[in-house]
Amino acid sequence: MESTITLNETNPVSAEYPESFQQGERSLLGLEMQVETPENVVLSYQLAGPSQRYVAYLIDFMIRSIMLVGILIFFIAPLSGVMMPGAMMGLFLVIMFLNTWGYYTISETFFKGKSIGKHACGLRVIREGGYPITFWPSLLRNLARSADSIILYGVGVTSMLLTRRFQRLGDLVAGTVVIQERSLTLPRKPIILNKIKPLDKNEIGSFLPRDEVLSLIDEFIGRRHVLTYERGHALASQLAQRLAKRLQYSGDEKKVSQYPMAFLASVYKTFSFGQTVEEQELVDEYQKRSASEGEFYE
Amino acid sequence: MNKHKFIQQRRPHWIKFEKFLREASSKSLSKLPADKISTFSQLLREISHDLATIRSRGWGHELISYLNDLAARGHNLFYSAPPANIAGVYRYLAFEFPRLFRANIGYFLTACLLFFVPMSVSWCVIQNNPELASRIIPEEYLTRFDQMYGEEGGLNSDTENQTENHEEAEESEEPETGSFGDQRAAMAGFYINNNVGIALKCFALGVLLGIGTVYTLLFNGIFLGAVSGYIISQGNGERFLSFVISHGSFELTAIAVAGGAGLMLGNAIIHPGQRTRFQSLQVRGLEAVQIAGGAAAMLVIAAMIEAFWSPADFPNEVKYLVGSGLWLIVFCYLAFAGLQADNRLPRQHSLSISPRKGDPPQ
Repeated sequence: MESTITLNETNPVSAEYPESFQQGERSLLGLEMQVETPENVVLSYQLAGPSQRYVAYLIDFMIRSIMLVGILIFFIAPLSGVMMPGAMMGLFLVIMFLNTWGYYTISETFFKGKSIGKHACGLRVIREGGYPITFWPSLLRNLARSADSIILYGVGVTSMLLTRRFQRLGDLVAGTVVIQERSLTLPRKPIILNKIKPLDKNEIGSFLPRDEVLSLIDEFIGRRHVLTYERGHALASQLAQRLAKRLQYSGDEKKVSQYPMAFLASVYKTFSFGQTVEEQELVDEYQKRSASEGEFYE
Repeated sequence: MNKHKFIQQRRPHWIKFEKFLREASSKSLSKLPADKISTFSQLLREISHDLATIRSRGWGHELISYLNDLAARGHNLFYSAPPANIAGVYRYLAFEFPRLFRANIGYFLTACLLFFVPMSVSWCVIQNNPELASRIIPEEYLTRFDQMYGEEGGLNSDTENQTENHEEAEESEEPETGSFGDQRAAMAGFYINNNVGIALKCFALGVLLGIGTVYTLLFNGIFLGAVSGYIISQGNGERFLSFVISHGSFELTAIAVAGGAGLMLGNAIIHPGQRTRFQSLQVRGLEAVQIAGGAAAMLVIAAMIEAFWSPADFPNEVKYLVGSGLWLIVFCYLAFAGLQADNRLPRQHSLSISPRKGDPPQ
């Protein structure tokens, strides 16, 4: 994190900043793109891969075809019998032009980076800095579509596979990425383990597990139903045995080997509810702050 | 600070922010009252802070991804660009496009070389050796050109009137001007669909190191030159030139402009300068697409002229006069529009483009 701060100071050009920031994160494997906001917090976006985007493309393609045929049958054909067949033909050709070259640009500009197909697949186009897309970049990325679509989008797919952020040529030119939008779900209430008793202080040493370990236990217990019982048991026992060793646990051996999950839960209960003085100070300070803020906007 | 306590304390704020996002996504942020916006901005900063706190303490993946998405949506909403309006379109056409064009005039001149030189060469060659025309132009096109521009051709306004008179004899209720304008409207649609599409493709293929653009320019140059040479060699020169001169002003220039923009894209990859190739492509690309947009607008005008004015029933002298006037207008527009300072209009920084070379001192 320190390196990002120094980079921020020496390199004020925001357009180039995320690039240099990304260099450090390059080893990180995954479908995430990270962006630092003006609030100095790093946001990560889930990138959309070629297959998802292909589905979105197919949906859009169908909608475009249906729209064109629909306009021809229900609007142009009946009207051209009544008045000016030539003008109707001209109008249809203009609509066809807009449909070919303008469908994506118009929809992405007006619906905040989503075409109908992208909306259906939960995708969105944003600029590389995490900003919403505007008219010119959108026009650029969709004009370049004609270069991408060579050999049935072979050029575009190749470009997507060769770049870190799954960008086709149009995305590279316009500086945009396609991300997946996850639905917002507030994490469920953490499990309060009422039945579990904390470990006896006399049975453990002075070792304090780190916060990460505790929250790992919390998450593991919260999601234990995802795994089968045997698999969860096996995973838990690995962690439990290591923890027991570090804690120099001298209590019931059976508890570690037979009921590792219960052991983990009791470790969690022991440490996460015991507070050090330092932390207590932090809490007080925080409560004071949030109390004063509470007056401000409630 | 305990994780549970933290969540308990902060949760109402998160829910409040979520509600806010849902409200604001249906309408523009700029339409909300001022106090709501300041609350929003404060909440956004708080949530960013919460996210940083949770990340640094490693309080679980679920919580991080929830807050991350919350902050990302807020970020997306808060830093959106100002909405576009009609004044922006006017500003673009009256100032920004010609300025950008002049700032990058070298690409336009190169595109002109690639377009007009092959065109004049093939024009000269074909005019002197019309039998070579069939090597470039398919046979059915040649016969169609003969019909179009020949004595009995559809383009000839006299014969066009004659055929219409024929029709009128059969169904006399149809007003003459109506159906004539009607046909032209269909042609306008065709020209827009066809020509603008070609120009946009010519620009877009510039991404492939400019090869696509060079190919399109050369191909169209040679083809158009051959067509012109062939038609003139068949003795229909007068009619052809009077037809072409008016819309040619906008059309030929716009194709070269779009080609220049495409070359700009290609050159951005080949000669990135101080930037990386991708960065250079992005920065130059944003300028190039604005030039190409101007070319598309010019081609729409050209299509209108081609459909409604060029085939109109006027003496050739009038057409030559108007045609030269249009060439002059195109030249003046590209050379002088936007040279004056525009202090009256507020400057919009909708795009982050590096200072342009061609900008006049304000």
